[in-house]
Amino acid sequence: MKNNLLLKRLLVIIPSLWLLVLTLVYFDVYEQRPIIGLLKSLQSDSALKVVDYSVDKPANTKVMPTANPDRNPYYGDLHVHTKYSFDAYVFGITASPDDAYEYAKGKGITHPLGYEMKLQEPLDFYSVTDHGFYMGMIQAYADTSTDISKEDFAKPFNNLNSPDNLTVESAGQRSNIFSSVLAQAIIQPLPWWHPRTLKAWFTQNTQLALASFDYKIHKSAWADVARSANEHNDPGHFTTFIGYEFTTSTDTEGGNLHRNVIFDSSKASLRPWTRIDSINPEDLWTWQDSLREKGIDTISMPHNSNGSNGQMFEMETFKGDAINKAYAEKRMRNEPLVEITQVKGTSETHPLLSPDDDWADFEIMDKRVGSRPPTYSKPSGGYVREAYQNGLTLGWTNQGNPYKFGLIGSSDTHTGAGAYDESNYWSKIGLLDGDPINRGSVPANAKQQQQLKDYMEAFNQPNALIELEEGNYANTGFTQWGASGLAVAWAEENTRESIFKAFKRKETFATTGTRIAVRFFAGYDLQTIDLDSDNLVSQAYSKAVTMGSDLMHDENKSPDFLVWAQRDKNGAALQRVQIVKGWIDMGSGTPYEKVFDVACSDGMNVDPETNRCPDNGARVNINDCSISQDVGAAELKSYWNDPEFDPKVKSFYYVRVLENPSCRWSTWDAVKAGFKPREDIHDTIQERAWSSPIWYIPAVNEYSVIPLGGTVAID
Amino acid sequence: MKTKIFLFFIIGLFVYLIDIGLNSNENPKEIYISDQEVLSLITAWQSQVGRKPTDDETSRIINNLIDEEILYREALLLGLDQEDRIIKRRLAQKISFLKQETLTNKPSNEDLISYYATNKDNYFVKPSYSFTHFFFSAENESKNRSQDAYNKLANNSKEFDSDPFFLGKNFINKDRDEISRNFGNIFSLNFSDDITLNEWLGPYKSSFGHHIIKVNQSSPGFYPLITEVLNKVEVDLLNENKDKAVNKYIEEVKSEYTIFVNQNL
Repeated sequence: MKNNLLLKRLLVIIPSLWLLVLTLVYFDVYEQRPIIGLLKSLQSDSALKVVDYSVDKPANTKVMPTANPDRNPYYGDLHVHTKYSFDAYVFGITASPDDAYEYAKGKGITHPLGYEMKLQEPLDFYSVTDHGFYMGMIQAYADTSTDISKEDFAKPFNNLNSPDNLTVESAGQRSNIFSSVLAQAIIQPLPWWHPRTLKAWFTQNTQLALASFDYKIHKSAWADVARSANEHNDPGHFTTFIGYEFTTSTDTEGGNLHRNVIFDSSKASLRPWTRIDSINPEDLWTWQDSLREKGIDTISMPHNSNGSNGQMFEMETFKGDAINKAYAEKRMRNEPLVEITQVKGTSETHPLLSPDDDWADFEIMDKRVGSRPPTYSKPSGGYVREAYQNGLTLGWTNQGNPYKFGLIGSSDTHTGAGAYDESNYWSKIGLLDGDPINRGSVPANAKQQQQLKDYMEAFNQPNALIELEEGNYANTGFTQWGASGLAVAWAEENTRESIFKAFKRKETFATTGTRIAVRFFAGYDLQTIDLDSDNLVSQAYSKAVTMGSDLMHDENKSPDFLVWAQRDKNGAALQRVQIVKGWIDMGSGTPYEKVFDVACSDGMNVDPETNRCPDNGARVNINDCSISQDVGAAELKSYWNDPEFDPKVKSFYYVRVLENPSCRWSTWDAVKAGFKPREDIHDTIQERAWSSPIWYIPAVNEYSVIPLGGTVAID
Repeated sequence: MKTKIFLFFIIGLFVYLIDIGLNSNENPKEIYISDQEVLSLITAWQSQVGRKPTDDETSRIINNLIDEEILYREALLLGLDQEDRIIKRRLAQKISFLKQETLTNKPSNEDLISYYATNKDNYFVKPSYSFTHFFFSAENESKNRSQDAYNKLANNSKEFDSDPFFLGKNFINKDRDEISRNFGNIFSLNFSDDITLNEWLGPYKSSFGHHIIKVNQSSPGFYPLITEVLNKVEVDLLNENKDKAVNKYIEEVKSEYTIFVNQNL
């Protein structure tokens, strides 16, 4: 009897429960998702908490320089790593963010190998941008006084940078720790029932669920970076930005998708958004948008597109969907600038992509960043000029233009100190490349050759020695790196507000490490302004648009371009100024490009047939790196009109300024050591600067183009 | 059974004693600097700087190495490679959040005043100048044109052509370093404390051409009141005390160590 009653009850209860669940799910799926919503409301977002990291400082008694409405060029570096970066620490770096900022202000700091790194002239702005991913963690593993250093995954790092370990011999082991041990240590997650895993879900902070992650250490490292930036910020004299690097890549190919993020004020998020939160850059932009709603503005700047295996500027989104206007606007809103040059090569263009550009073969680095062994990165999709062209095509197919960015340079130094001078180059990563033999510019002796062979055998790497005329050289990829680059902003004064605004309106240019300066304007009937007038610049600002801007059409008028470049007083004289034009065929979207010489040194004129300056005869003496002193210009100034201008064609124009040739760092190394320069790499380079482009916007067509296939959402 | 375990116990004890015996002559207070270490540091220095280090620099390199080694061993002796509360506290002090007070021993006012007095020169505000200029570009006969213009100005005539300067016409409150950065070092040398005001001076050569300048205003350099730079003085004093303490500590401890280096390298 009892059983029957129970059975009856169950017969009623179970189906009604099921009905209840179905009803709730129904509402959830088709209405406002109240159940999921309830659960989501239990979640907080730790990455969106805002903290004011400002430091109490007394009132500044220094005189504030007057703001210049015609704007001044301010030189800086927005890509610097210190000991808080997981890889810098492995490479033997013990420099702190304070050391880095002191270096930028002109003080000398010590390289891990013992010598001094010092700037010839201080910089105007600097931003320490350590990897957000595992910030501060490796240092904690190495410091045997912390709890976390006792764990198994931390053991290989213990005492990594104690003084007797800071040797060149430890390079092989450090390389291995970087590539293999680090990856294995970090991936281990905690079990699903662990309190930290639950907390990770509740605060949307995935890192907490990793066994090797210590949130306190991470937050304090980030706080120290932010505090240091605020400590050294000196409005009117020296500007710093709180920043970090978002170090993401494509999952299987390892294509580099790294971006640096900087904040506009003394406030920042509680923790940086890293690849563990999401490897998709679009989620980074969503985070930036959310922060902007809270009053914190940020910009993100991609770099090393050359090592992205074509992924940085691809014609589809990260997940493989089609690009549309919303995507393009989101990308441009958050990424107005791209780092076109740095120690790991220059990404302007590639000889395969620009076969007619005689200067395209410049500091080409064609390996995927961080790949081991260094693996080929295919050019298409990895260079700025082609991205600009593809941007025009995407705009033409009504998908929006996500590639309308301005340009900056930076170093990506991991020693806290950028090496911008070819004659005084310490490369990037400390112990592994801090001396010429390891960099591959000077032949290795027998012992070092044996060390390299042992390292290769021990860690399953291809042969890293190359036999050349002068001897056997190390050939691990550092030869493709170089002494670049600088970011330059046209701003009214040297303050965060003024320079950040310059970044957002893209009034910036990039140099390869020297202090070239360049002005660029485009407008109509500009030539009425006298080139020799003292008010040239203020008149140009009122009548024309400057670099980074759009130039709207004016009926069928051909715009006047004004370029004015000045040399680095300590560098080589200027050889020529060029304008690079890119456009598309308006019937098919096919991209084209052409390089025009616009001003020549030594009073010479551009040949109207070839659009080239004659050779000014500047040469370099390879035996002592002396350069021609009697040719070249201190400044070059000119108006220019596009001889092939078509008012109906979408196009962009940017300036490229070239110095007379000078020795590359590898030649300097060889000369100092008494060897001939290594025969299979360039022995001289022409330092250069690129301005942000000016985009010419033609009138809207009477008919709109509908791309074939109908796969693109036109919104 | 019991005897077998006993046997292994004896063997273990034996091995332990041998280990102690073989390692007993390692005196932690003796530092051996190997030739290779010194040579590798010198080679690294040389290949970077381009020449062999001088004797002074070499002894500095070796001294740095010795200091670091001593500190490291002292730390080990203190057991700092194990968990230590003092280290934790010091680490926590190093990283300060927001406006938390971490400076536990603030120096006294007397200390600050005496430090400021001894180090006044570090806080000296450099003299600054406000000037305007006519520029003659090196691209176009700068020497002749500037001389010609100067003569004309002497006769109160402005009938000459000058060129616009890339960085502008008027410079306000710039000190010598800033002028050097904008024009080059040679040009900045013309700015002395007693430079004549409100007169056309020149022509002066710069990295970009020649200039004729007129200085409207010059502010002499001055030593600010300590109250104006108080925070910086405090920070500097604390840093100096920290350095002094470390050096004092090294000196005290150094006397306990015997150091072996090959003098003939």
